[in-house]
Amino acid sequence: MRTALKGSLALAALALSVPLLTRQANAIPAFSRQYATSCVTCHIDFPKLNDFGKAFKDAGFQFPKEDETYLKVAPVMLGAEAQKQAFPKSVWPGTIPGMPPIGLRFNSFFQATGSSRNRFDPLAAPGVPQIIPATDFASGLFSIFTAGNFGSGIAFWVDDDISVAGVNGAGGLGDAYLKFVNVSRFLKLPKDSLAVRVGQFELDLPITQARSYNLSPYDIYQEANIGAMNSMVALQQNVSNQFTFSNPARGIELTGGHQYGGYHYSVAVFDQNTTGVDQSSNTTPYVPSATGGANGGVGFGSTADFKNVYGRLSYRFNLERDSESRHDIQAAGPAGPRDHSYLAVGSFYLYGKSLQQFAGMNELLRVQEPYYRAGGDFNFNYRRFNMYGVFMYGRDQNLLPVDNTDALISLPLTSSSPLPVNFIKSVPAQFDGGFVQADLMLHPWVMAIMRWDGVNSTADRINGLALAANTPFFAPVHSTRNRFTPGLQFLIHPNIKFSFEYQIRPEQSVVIETDPLTGKLIAANPFRVKTALFGLEFVY
Amino acid sequence: MFRLRMILALTVFCAMAMDAGSITGKVAAGKGVSVVWVEAAAGKTVPKPDKPLTMDQRSLLFQPHILVVPVGATVEFLNSDNVQHNIFWPAISGNKKLAHNLGTWPKGQTRSFLFETAGVVPLLCNVHSEMSGYVVVTPTPYYAQTDEAGNFKIANVPDGSYTVTAWHEGYKNQSKPVSVGGEGTVDFTLAK
Repeated sequence: MRTALKGSLALAALALSVPLLTRQANAIPAFSRQYATSCVTCHIDFPKLNDFGKAFKDAGFQFPKEDETYLKVAPVMLGAEAQKQAFPKSVWPGTIPGMPPIGLRFNSFFQATGSSRNRFDPLAAPGVPQIIPATDFASGLFSIFTAGNFGSGIAFWVDDDISVAGVNGAGGLGDAYLKFVNVSRFLKLPKDSLAVRVGQFELDLPITQARSYNLSPYDIYQEANIGAMNSMVALQQNVSNQFTFSNPARGIELTGGHQYGGYHYSVAVFDQNTTGVDQSSNTTPYVPSATGGANGGVGFGSTADFKNVYGRLSYRFNLERDSESRHDIQAAGPAGPRDHSYLAVGSFYLYGKSLQQFAGMNELLRVQEPYYRAGGDFNFNYRRFNMYGVFMYGRDQNLLPVDNTDALISLPLTSSSPLPVNFIKSVPAQFDGGFVQADLMLHPWVMAIMRWDGVNSTADRINGLALAANTPFFAPVHSTRNRFTPGLQFLIHPNIKFSFEYQIRPEQSVVIETDPLTGKLIAANPFRVKTALFGLEFVY
Repeated sequence: MFRLRMILALTVFCAMAMDAGSITGKVAAGKGVSVVWVEAAAGKTVPKPDKPLTMDQRSLLFQPHILVVPVGATVEFLNSDNVQHNIFWPAISGNKKLAHNLGTWPKGQTRSFLFETAGVVPLLCNVHSEMSGYVVVTPTPYYAQTDEAGNFKIANVPDGSYTVTAWHEGYKNQSKPVSVGGEGTVDFTLAK
């Protein structure tokens, strides 16, 4: 099977498992233990950060000022303070947390799916599940995470899913990095204007997916640009770019500013991997890996030479009238400190190259297809009400294979297709979409949520339930997926949460017919799947 | 009339000459200290303390954890942390009408509050929900905090009959009568 199509099928399989199992990190009970403080010191409805939590994170997982006075568990000194005076004839001393800063998290779900959930059955390829159950108890994630500070402004974070959906080892590494905070002090730049993060991390998204408090992920962050290689579609696409914002990036990031007020920026350079191949299996027996022998080591994270570049710039206007309060980490309200009222606006841009490859006439035919993602966002907070949104546009250049006569080869490729020898530019494969979400804290322990997700893509097959039958999931005339998701979340304790979401989706179809009156393609046998999702999770 | 004056003068003299005793005893309750105080007797007034007492917020803790003051005392609430704090109490001895919120103030500054009602004031901070402290406002100046073993001694109590109350965090109050004629003794066993 051609690689691009193989990639599409792999993505489709992945997409089926995504809604419940999106990799998420969470609140850090280890900090609670170290500082003997409650989760709500840093979180509103964990893992949503309040302004103090944002400042704590910006400072490298420590209190922004005089951190040592708040620690209830003294850190272990890795060398006397006076060793600094002996440097460079001694190792610069640091610290490790006085207790292993480990947090654990588990969640489980109950899901109910709408009555038309099985109407695609006659068209779907055999597989599991053959029947979607009306109601279901499902296991979620059991995750471990650790984070803290090693002194000298060096922070660390590692999270990993030990078990996913009840299967041990099925998860993976989430974020795992070292962050050198306030590097700007060495360059005599303004405080906190430059920090460096190295490792694997979620890109500096406007609204985090990895630490989302929603049960279901943001659809736009899950959007991979996979071309619709369908003979029924006039403008064929050969795009097999499996990059999504929901996956962690491996690379280096420069960042500066604060999340709780003023400017914030980040610039990241990270591996390009658009084929979906795992690092562990991205090896070759012919070239020794730098981290091991032939066909060994930790493999290669990249699938091409090019490195992606991501940048984000945002500014948050705190709206408190009192100047002193406006510039403080939290606003000084008449009934106690609280999050600021604020308006934040930002934009982001990613440039990358997606690897396209075919078994060509004389050799494996490869080309790096440029793509970019660009978007803007806003975030408004007034007391207990928070509303934010992200809009994103994605564009892949769409290089189509041609045969030795420079004629376009009909897609998808089959065993009788001519062999591709080159690529030519075609109409770009584009998508756009985003989400808008509003949260209202009804009580400190109850949050009401209303969210809209929308993705418009002429080649949207991320839900490709009927991919094997070569039918698009959505009618070409309405290649859009929308979702309204009202929800409620209850904190039973600061570390135990019960969540509910009702996901309202538009009508969908896996069957296309031609309207006898208009001659246009229409969706036949439409069905609408609404889902109710209950989640129970705890961290400790 | 003369007889009446003589009786009054004798009463005053006796009162002036009356010995001050003490009340001792033991409170059996959970870990930590308890507070024991003498309830007000009808018709008797108590002098207001002349100096304010201080409750500090330091290292995300109320320090001291329990502050005992007589009714009419002013307490100064200090913020020694460089993070913002708040102090509020949802009730005084369960009376939610006496709830109060002192707001927010920066490091090194204080907010004062005059406690005119006796009772147990549970102190909370609305941004650090684990913070817990108490101001125990006693109706008389005759009070004591126990040691860790529960022993207490209330000194300089005028001889007479009183009601003595014991309080311990998380336990139900208990009141008992005691007579002070030089020394009175009373023990408590508190229950949750």
